[in-house]
Amino acid sequence: MFKQTRLRSVVLAATLAGLIAYCVMGGFYAREIVVEIAILAILAISLDVVAGFGGMVSLCHGAIMGIAAYAYGILTVKFGLPPLPSAVAAVAGAAVFGTVVGWITGRTSGIFFIMATLAFGQMAYTLIFKSQWLGGDDGMSGLPRFDLSWLGIKMGSSLTYGLFAIALTAAVYIAAAWVLRSAFGRTLGGIHANETRMKALGVNTILHRARAMGFSALLAGIAGIVAAQHTQFISPELLFWTISGEVLIVVILGGLGTLIGPVIGAVAFISLKHQVSGITDHWHIVIGLLLIVIVVAGGRGLYGQSEHWLALRTDKADDKSEDRGHA
Amino acid sequence: MDTGYWALQFLNALQFSMLLFLLSIGLTVIFGLLHFVNLAHGALYMLGAYIGVSAAASFGSYWAAFFLAPIGVTIIGAILYFTLIERLRHAGPMNQVLVTFGLIFVFLDLVRMTWGDIALGLEAPAALAGSSEFAGISYPTYRFFIIAVGAVVMAALWVGLTRTQIGAMIRAGVENGNMAAALGINVNRLFFLVFCVGCALAGLAGVIAAPVFSATTGMGISILIPTLIVVVIGGLGSLEGAIAGSLIVGFIETIGAVFLPEVAAISSYVLLAAVLILRPQGLIPARG
Repeated sequence: MFKQTRLRSVVLAATLAGLIAYCVMGGFYAREIVVEIAILAILAISLDVVAGFGGMVSLCHGAIMGIAAYAYGILTVKFGLPPLPSAVAAVAGAAVFGTVVGWITGRTSGIFFIMATLAFGQMAYTLIFKSQWLGGDDGMSGLPRFDLSWLGIKMGSSLTYGLFAIALTAAVYIAAAWVLRSAFGRTLGGIHANETRMKALGVNTILHRARAMGFSALLAGIAGIVAAQHTQFISPELLFWTISGEVLIVVILGGLGTLIGPVIGAVAFISLKHQVSGITDHWHIVIGLLLIVIVVAGGRGLYGQSEHWLALRTDKADDKSEDRGHA
Repeated sequence: MDTGYWALQFLNALQFSMLLFLLSIGLTVIFGLLHFVNLAHGALYMLGAYIGVSAAASFGSYWAAFFLAPIGVTIIGAILYFTLIERLRHAGPMNQVLVTFGLIFVFLDLVRMTWGDIALGLEAPAALAGSSEFAGISYPTYRFFIIAVGAVVMAALWVGLTRTQIGAMIRAGVENGNMAAALGINVNRLFFLVFCVGCALAGLAGVIAAPVFSATTGMGISILIPTLIVVVIGGLGSLEGAIAGSLIVGFIETIGAVFLPEVAAISSYVLLAAVLILRPQGLIPARG
């Protein structure tokens, strides 16, 4: 079950403050990195909602993000609609897709759920990849950013856009925490812990899973909008299954089922990517080995492991029951 | 379109099915017996191709590659088994997916470091160069060889699994591992053996594919998804399922790509989703 502890609030505030400081003081390149982190953090929070709290390890979150980005592209570029209503409609579209996938795959679990979500994600990828109307392999360009000039805000500036992305990350975190603390979030946790018991209590578990996927897809859709407006260009690569795999890596890197962990994971992942890429172009081997080490060491991730150590120090009695590490 | 054209497409589809079979049979039995999800199986296929290229270059013969690549890949697989696979057997599908996804990255960069980013070709042996006649059309002899290798492996595995004692033990293990262990079968040794055979077949698939498709760094990832589809639609742990699944996916992807390119591209995913939801045990489930 999710608890917004004081430690988590402090870490969230510190991370966001750090990102804001980096964005304000850094140059254009720093702001690009901040937006990249924000997109990945939003997507990882969205995946943690279903994977960490509902046990639904989805391999279609990249595709959901891409669907929102493409829906936004179609509405703005192809139909010439204004950005704000288009973004709302695109996010809603992603949520509908997520709900449908969640409902269809709701009766599967474990590896079958993973494979089923992979299948739906790849269907979306293939359809967009093959569509001449959507530019196929070449993608689509010229997607507009929000026009907030009536508020005196210039979204074209890299500083404004960086701060906008950080603000959305905070909003998404708060929305996810709020939903997980609601009765619905607790029911979802109950289904994850013991599905048979929740069924016996009269809970429609498939409906709850579908709703959880729908909410998660809504958040992933927001990541899609931020990504689409960031480079103002989208390509089918966004939807490919390895993107979903990378998001899962980010969640594990930070700490599955902690909600703040995915944010830390996104910061660590993007920083590491840019640091290592500066030295060698073999950065995948670094992330691959890191992932293996983290999973073999117990799978708690950077934040989860730190929280675990702190808990051990403050409460030695938990030592035996909490320790499930293999190392 | 004349019959010759269709015969050509039929042979292409059959050849792709055989490659899929060599990969999926190892994956499906590992899946069924060890309950282990090995996403790195495609990476082993890639390693088979690259090791084959190097072996052929050092010994100057395709046949050295043909025999050394499966052995090399099996050794790599055995190292993986003792370092990672064994301890992750009870770690749940998510951890297995993550670690083997990490392995894909590691192998990908190791291959790029060792062999570089350029696609490497492997010359087919002289005896198999040129073309042969079949049903009035001329078709590369080497591709007939791929089909023949697939068919021989298929027959050997069928005999091995249904007519020998070790095959009976494997089938018992797939059906109920604990019960098989209780009856005195050394299940752990059986797991290791099956894992090694799976790796060897992945390496074999890689080396026989190399002369046709070349060894590329992307080959492992691109073959992985069709292989997983074969495993799931056929039924985890099932030889007949792997055969049927390989033929279905091989023909859909090859013939469909010629006939209805838009539909074919997503049809295997639709099939996968439909099987998972309507018949999660697969089309031909493993049973005793």
